[in-house]
Amino acid sequence: MLAPGGVLMFVVIVVPLAVALYVSLLDLDQYTFRQWVHAPFIRLGNYSEAIQRSNLLHSIRISVGYATIVTLATLPIGLAAALATQNRFRGRGLVRSIFLIPYVLPAFVVGTVWRIILQPDGIAEHTLSRFGVSEDLWLNGPRSFWALVIVQIWASWPLVYLLALAGLQSIDHTMHEAAALDGTGWWSKLRYVIFPFLRGPVTLAMLIAFLHNVNNFTLPFVLFGVPSPRDVEVLPVLTYVEGFQNFRFGVSAAMAVFSVVLIAIPLAAYLRAVRLDVGQA
Amino acid sequence: MTAKRFLFALACAIVMATPLSACTAEPAAEPGLPGVGKTLNVLVSANSIYPTQQKQWFDDVSAKFKTQTGASVTFETFASPNDELTKIQTSVLSSQGPDVYSLGTTFTPTAYATGAFVELTADDWAKVGGRDRFLPATLGISGPDKQHEVGIPFTSRPFVMAYNTEMLKAAGIAKPADTWDGLLAQAKTLTTGGNFGLAVAYGDSFDPWKFIWAMSVQAGNPLVNGGKAQLDQESTLKAYQTYLGWLATDKVVDPAAAGWKNAQAIAAFGAGKAAFLPMVSATSKVTLDKSSVAGKYSYAIMPTIPPGATSLPAGGVAATSILSGDNLVVAKYSKNKDLALSLVKMLTSAEAQETYYKTFGELPTNAEYAKTLQSDPALAAIVDSSGKASGTPFSGAWSQIQLALVNVVVQSVPNLAAGKVDQAQLKSLVAQAQTAAQSALDKAK
Amino acid sequence: MKRDSSVHQLLPRPLRLAVIAVLLASVLIPLCYMFFASVNSDLSVAAGEFWPQQLDFGNYLRIWSTVELGGGLVNSLIVAGAVAVASALLATLTAYVLVRFSFLGRLAFLRGLLALQSIPGTLMLLPVFVLFASLATVFGVQVIGTRWALVVTYLTFALPFSTWVMVTYLRGLPRELDEAARIDGASSWGVLTRIVVPLSWPGLIVSGIFAFLLGWNDVLFASVMTNPESRTAAVALQVFGATQEGGAIPVYGQMMAAALVCALPVVVLYLIFQRYLISGLTAGGVK
Repeated sequence: MLAPGGVLMFVVIVVPLAVALYVSLLDLDQYTFRQWVHAPFIRLGNYSEAIQRSNLLHSIRISVGYATIVTLATLPIGLAAALATQNRFRGRGLVRSIFLIPYVLPAFVVGTVWRIILQPDGIAEHTLSRFGVSEDLWLNGPRSFWALVIVQIWASWPLVYLLALAGLQSIDHTMHEAAALDGTGWWSKLRYVIFPFLRGPVTLAMLIAFLHNVNNFTLPFVLFGVPSPRDVEVLPVLTYVEGFQNFRFGVSAAMAVFSVVLIAIPLAAYLRAVRLDVGQA
Repeated sequence: MTAKRFLFALACAIVMATPLSACTAEPAAEPGLPGVGKTLNVLVSANSIYPTQQKQWFDDVSAKFKTQTGASVTFETFASPNDELTKIQTSVLSSQGPDVYSLGTTFTPTAYATGAFVELTADDWAKVGGRDRFLPATLGISGPDKQHEVGIPFTSRPFVMAYNTEMLKAAGIAKPADTWDGLLAQAKTLTTGGNFGLAVAYGDSFDPWKFIWAMSVQAGNPLVNGGKAQLDQESTLKAYQTYLGWLATDKVVDPAAAGWKNAQAIAAFGAGKAAFLPMVSATSKVTLDKSSVAGKYSYAIMPTIPPGATSLPAGGVAATSILSGDNLVVAKYSKNKDLALSLVKMLTSAEAQETYYKTFGELPTNAEYAKTLQSDPALAAIVDSSGKASGTPFSGAWSQIQLALVNVVVQSVPNLAAGKVDQAQLKSLVAQAQTAAQSALDKAK
Repeated sequence: MKRDSSVHQLLPRPLRLAVIAVLLASVLIPLCYMFFASVNSDLSVAAGEFWPQQLDFGNYLRIWSTVELGGGLVNSLIVAGAVAVASALLATLTAYVLVRFSFLGRLAFLRGLLALQSIPGTLMLLPVFVLFASLATVFGVQVIGTRWALVVTYLTFALPFSTWVMVTYLRGLPRELDEAARIDGASSWGVLTRIVVPLSWPGLIVSGIFAFLLGWNDVLFASVMTNPESRTAAVALQVFGATQEGGAIPVYGQMMAAALVCALPVVVLYLIFQRYLISGLTAGGVK
């Protein structure tokens, strides 16, 4: 029964990945890519160029930093949203749907809307100035990093919310009753009764959110454009620019492979530690 | 509707929709024509300002081409230059895709470098109606030399400068200056009462390099010379200092412009808050005619005397604009090369170019039709600029150099927003750009 | 049924209201801005104004003729719908095997699934395209340009995550249910369709929604794998953001209008399906 899913993933992910790995060993650029199979094989040349002569390490730092902050920040928001909409009330369906909207909007629309909101002399600046804050440059310079963080939080918390909501459904009625009988306070109930049930789905949501944030290309691309300001030169944008604008496909592939390795190793360690995948509870 | 029923309905819809889309009815064409039963695919930029007109134009072109050759034309559109790049790359890599592409002029050198597009022989030029049917200036970026050309000029989109006629009149300025220093002096006079002399989009991803290139080339530095990058020359640094200085030291630009995209600059000019709007093309007319400055603005060519000079220095080129517009290229993998050339011939004829100009406001490349436009006073500056535009260096590395040039501005923005140009930082950024440009040129084949 | 009484209360009422109010505001204010922009003139949007200078609902009409938005929405619904259904079902199948059977490489497979998620899309674009394109040259099957190319691509990219959702979900189902059904003579397949799937609605819905949105929002693959007939709404939407070089400003108003219109089907779909989100274990008679 594993076959259909397995075959599909093998053909559409593993095979192209192998091709991409091979490409990362080629000197593939605008001059050679029409006959890409015949492009010069340069072994690890692209990798050393990526490390020594590009902003790769800087970008990895930015990407991991921003993804970590966003992921941690979406956890309480998503959880609170799920808990607050778990009990029935009038209009709950609508509220739940509205909560999904940021996740539903295409990333480039989110990017465009927030770019206009955050632009100098824009709505954000006007609103903030009423509170005595006069920060006008959000889309470049050190604050651009925080602009990216804020917008990404806005767009991605519904994922945690969705999974927490699903997790809440698997809590048996009797658990609630037991907690009520004990006269447990709401926080203790959450802490000792509810949260253990949510650990699995929420950890999963955070892992996925982290990976999506690390790989998010559209949002920073639309918010800041290319060439990207130094403070938001995230990995996917660097990879994209190197490949699709500078036409250094080999170097670009090497960068991407690098990022996969750099993310996969901590991920594997983390997975072992949280034991998310170890059979039945 | 329950979810299960909905899913069932959805599944049915999918199953039913698929075979339907597979067989589209082919209208019968006259037998005997060379292209009967064939279809040409053409990739062009989506026009969000004239969407219905563009659709109509697609239909008209296809219908007309069918009567001429028997073949039909299907148009595909792309939304952004990045979209187009990806499309070209995937098509070239897999040898599948559009037969004819409409490319921005500055991308033509890179397209040439891929070797994926047909180099036009004398015979091919004859098939598109002869090389001399085009305005000579528009052929400036078709290939590295006459023998190796891939791009056939389709539209011309020279850059000019819009200016607010009332503001200039009120300040007693007869006409926009023809030197950058003069323009700055005028802008200083015009910066009063909350209005600014210039509207410049420093935060744009496409525009800033065009200023730097223009000022450099006017000072005699084409940026690339025989495989050597020359971004580290004094003239280029001066160009950056002038361009950034408008906001930082001369204060003739709204400080918010440090983060502006092109759209915000146009909006500021349209709101009557700026006197000059440099680096726009004729398409800006659509927006400006809907703005509060409608009827109160005019176009002029941008200055051609570099900053710090009062006359064109030796070796300088009086370029009014980059050679801008669209070229048509034919993919080498196309199985319908001759048909593709016939289509290009049709699209670049005087008649088709007239329709195109009248529909979309894009200037012709066809010499015969361009001549008739010269007498139109409203177009004088734009037609003038079209003839005096100069091609950017024809190198496969140009896209990278362009990116490096813009990067200098992008990384200077935080300082610019704080109202200063950090000379040491600027020098090091320009040096980085020089290194990037040189290493891109070194890889050129 | 008094299931939703105080026994089930998770947050104190004031806190609950505060959370809902704050979150609603944070979502709705930018959305309000989008709505205002959709009836405003493009020039004032570019100038960064919040309150519209005019109320021009014409944008909601114009969007349909500017691009093939109607066709795009149909394509998107078909593609994303197919991806959602297929990935939820395939994921359940895969997850069931991973949860209920132990075999060599099970953990490696599970971890591998998550590792697949760390591969950036930009790395995969060219190879996937070349793979599909070569199907045309080798087997004579034109894949690029059809909806199926997109369905297969998105399905594959959605599967790892969907499978994981189902794994965490199915793990919560008591094994005794399976065993009881097996004693009654049900096959593995029977257990799956008659016991597991009906009990897994919340998980199915979540993984389905996730897969649906993946297909709904993707631009990277859709922009190169579609032709004008199979173009999805997300790609069509991009045209509104297009800028003419050195020229007119983007049609912001239409873009916002179109984005809101495109968000609507998803919201409606969610409203239809959301009751399944709350009818999980408790409604399944598991107690």
